[in-house]
Amino acid sequence: MTVIEFRLTHFQSMTLFALIISIAFGFLSRRRTSERVKYIIWSLFLFLLIGVGIGWAMYPFSH
Amino acid sequence: MADEFPAGDATTSGTTPATASTSAPSAAVVEAEHQPQKREAAALGIGLAGWLVPGLGHALQKMWGRAIVCFLTVGALVFLAVGMRGNVFSSEGSDAFGMLGYAADLGTGSFYLAAKAMETDGSDIAHAEGDYGTRFLAAAGVLNLLAALHAYEAYRGRKA
Repeated sequence: MTVIEFRLTHFQSMTLFALIISIAFGFLSRRRTSERVKYIIWSLFLFLLIGVGIGWAMYPFSH
Repeated sequence: MADEFPAGDATTSGTTPATASTSAPSAAVVEAEHQPQKREAAALGIGLAGWLVPGLGHALQKMWGRAIVCFLTVGALVFLAVGMRGNVFSSEGSDAFGMLGYAADLGTGSFYLAAKAMETDGSDIAHAEGDYGTRFLAAAGVLNLLAALHAYEAYRGRKA
């Protein structure tokens, strides 16, 4: 049996992925705390917006 | 954790001499600055260390915030990937995608071995979670490679 097991929805997985990657990018690409926070929020917002946007764009093809 | 600069980088960081002296470069760093070949070798060592243990490349340069975040984010992605039963590729991949996946997974360095050790039931990519897990692990590898490259470049003074 695997040590741990997660059951996440598509949206939860996408949000978690976006949050983790945004934090990593923010810390790697910016020095100041305020810049990092702005970058993380903006990056997270764009990740989610584009993710949901692509999801809706593909919706007609799923039927 | 904020306002991180590579150790001894007083010229590009904009710090005053007084603040720069608080994180004075070690004798080895000063010596390496005057010997380009040694500096290049040290930079490669830092990049390699950053690959093997996520965040170590930054920790060696006293960039603690970045070191901790690299370690935690790569670790979290690997942990989630295994928990979601993603595919941890092995060297026995028969097709190009398998080999590419293996290369990406290897990017996590020592965490690849941890993922292998934790994944005892194998992958379950028939479900969405497993598919996401596969991507999480590949993203962790690529992210760690990016962080190692960042540490390498930071030591060379090109990026911080």
